[in-house]
Amino acid sequence: MSTLSPAVLKRKKRLSKLTPYGFVAPATITMLLLVVYPILYGFYISFFDTNLVNKWKWVGLTYYGKAFTDASFTHSLWMTVIFTTFVVLGHFLLGFVFANILNKPIRFKTFFRGVLIIPWLFPDVVVAYLFKWILNTQSGILNALLMHLGLIQEPIGWLTQSATAFPCVIFVSIWKGFPLVMIQILAGIQTINTDMYEAASIDGANGWQQFRYVTLPALKPILTTVLILDTVWVFKQFTLIWLTTAGGPGSTTMVSAVEIYKNAFNYFKYGYASAQSVFILVICYLIGVVFRRLLKDD
Amino acid sequence: MTNSQRARWGSAIRYFILVLGCLLVLLPVSWMIITSLKTMQDITLSKGVELFPNGPTVSNYITIWSEYPMLSYIKNSLISVGGSTIFAVVCAALCGYGLSRYEFGGKKFLLSFLLVTQMFPAVMKIIPYYKILVNVHLNDTAFGLMIVYASFSIPFCTWMMYGYFKTISTSLDEAARIDGCSPLQTFFKVVLPLTIPGLVATTIYAFLQNWNEYMFASVLIRSDDKKTLTFGISSMADAYRIQWNYLMSASIIASVPTMLIFVFLQKQLIAGMTAGAVKE
Repeated sequence: MSTLSPAVLKRKKRLSKLTPYGFVAPATITMLLLVVYPILYGFYISFFDTNLVNKWKWVGLTYYGKAFTDASFTHSLWMTVIFTTFVVLGHFLLGFVFANILNKPIRFKTFFRGVLIIPWLFPDVVVAYLFKWILNTQSGILNALLMHLGLIQEPIGWLTQSATAFPCVIFVSIWKGFPLVMIQILAGIQTINTDMYEAASIDGANGWQQFRYVTLPALKPILTTVLILDTVWVFKQFTLIWLTTAGGPGSTTMVSAVEIYKNAFNYFKYGYASAQSVFILVICYLIGVVFRRLLKDD
Repeated sequence: MTNSQRARWGSAIRYFILVLGCLLVLLPVSWMIITSLKTMQDITLSKGVELFPNGPTVSNYITIWSEYPMLSYIKNSLISVGGSTIFAVVCAALCGYGLSRYEFGGKKFLLSFLLVTQMFPAVMKIIPYYKILVNVHLNDTAFGLMIVYASFSIPFCTWMMYGYFKTISTSLDEAARIDGCSPLQTFFKVVLPLTIPGLVATTIYAFLQNWNEYMFASVLIRSDDKKTLTFGISSMADAYRIQWNYLMSASIIASVPTMLIFVFLQKQLIAGMTAGAVKE
């Protein structure tokens, strides 16, 4: 090393300054090309009335104004909020209950955990069609069973009646998504020091109090992250709804992702759909900000 | 009630809830399996309650290969998902290592950018992707889909790999450097071998995420022989009269890779599932 001339050393130093950029370059360049550029291009499209081929008519902010006053868009936003609230609540309720039980000394723990993970392993497409088949009006097993047991006389159109379609879609989304929340909460619970529970029970805390004053505070950071991620994921949910009800009947299950998809690829209103998706982007971002504020350590 | 009585009741309730949860999961799944073992005749005649009027059959699993281009569905899925996974994991490993080992201008920005991309609604990217791929004549190709899937995986995979590299002491890097290793050699020969479990979890996560993807495939792919498995399954249901037995057996085939990963790599799979939450 000592034989290297100062010039070579200098060059080496400059090179080593560039080393970190060499490591991050492939990912960064790919993301610039494949994430940043498309997103900016999406903004650009939202200012045009366009068929994406030969018609590019500048409309400025017209579509943004239109989205605000468009009853079907505000309806879809509202449906998305309700849908997200119920599904995330369901995920957390089931996730919490099962994670807590799986953390206790029980027999066949691996078996139970394995079975409860199964819904997460199926592709959305498979889950959507499985429940579309189970809930099928004419030949679905649910109607067949209920009629066999004499609980109903006529088959119910679970996914085709406005009263039942939305709850069914929510159920399917909870069924598919709760294992992920469960596993994440379980991983969080397992990092809690068991001494804390011992200390709490010596102090006379009952099960609920232990949960409230030991488990919950210790889990808070993890819960915050899982809550944000889960909310954003559910907010963007498309496949399960599109393939079970396609937003129908009427627009009773029309969440924003489905509405935007339909505007773009069924009605070819690409500019308007882009403007709508910019709104969704802003909302998803705000969800993250709001949750982080609300759940920040007091 | 004595303490031991209460404990016994508590554990009885726990098992009850667990069994209930398992039934909730297993009943729909078993209905999928049962349907896949029925003939269409049995499906229309039995009205559901009677399981197998003419006995179970595996004929659906044989017929779908000739009824539908299942092989090319699988091939396309493997090309687009496999290619994007390899590409994304390589980029993510390099980037995660760089982020965990060096201080450099723009690092903070890059880290928060990786998180913000998680917020981008997929539906916002789909219109530009569609247009861009048409422009470069990559729409309706497995390669085009591969590029799109790579863009989904890179941010999250980088974040995961960054987390794994941070758990490995930098003293190893220093030792390797003193022994005369270049930064790239240090990465490949010293640090990367230690993160193999993390690398496997990241790969599994990226693979499953894209294997299960449907929306982008349904927009970017047109011809039947270019469809991925999930999109192919959904087009089986476009028929006027859905062949539920075919649909369910194809669904089971589409779920096989995930099930195999689950059975053989359960630990890494769960590590992948929790990587998003338990970061720090």
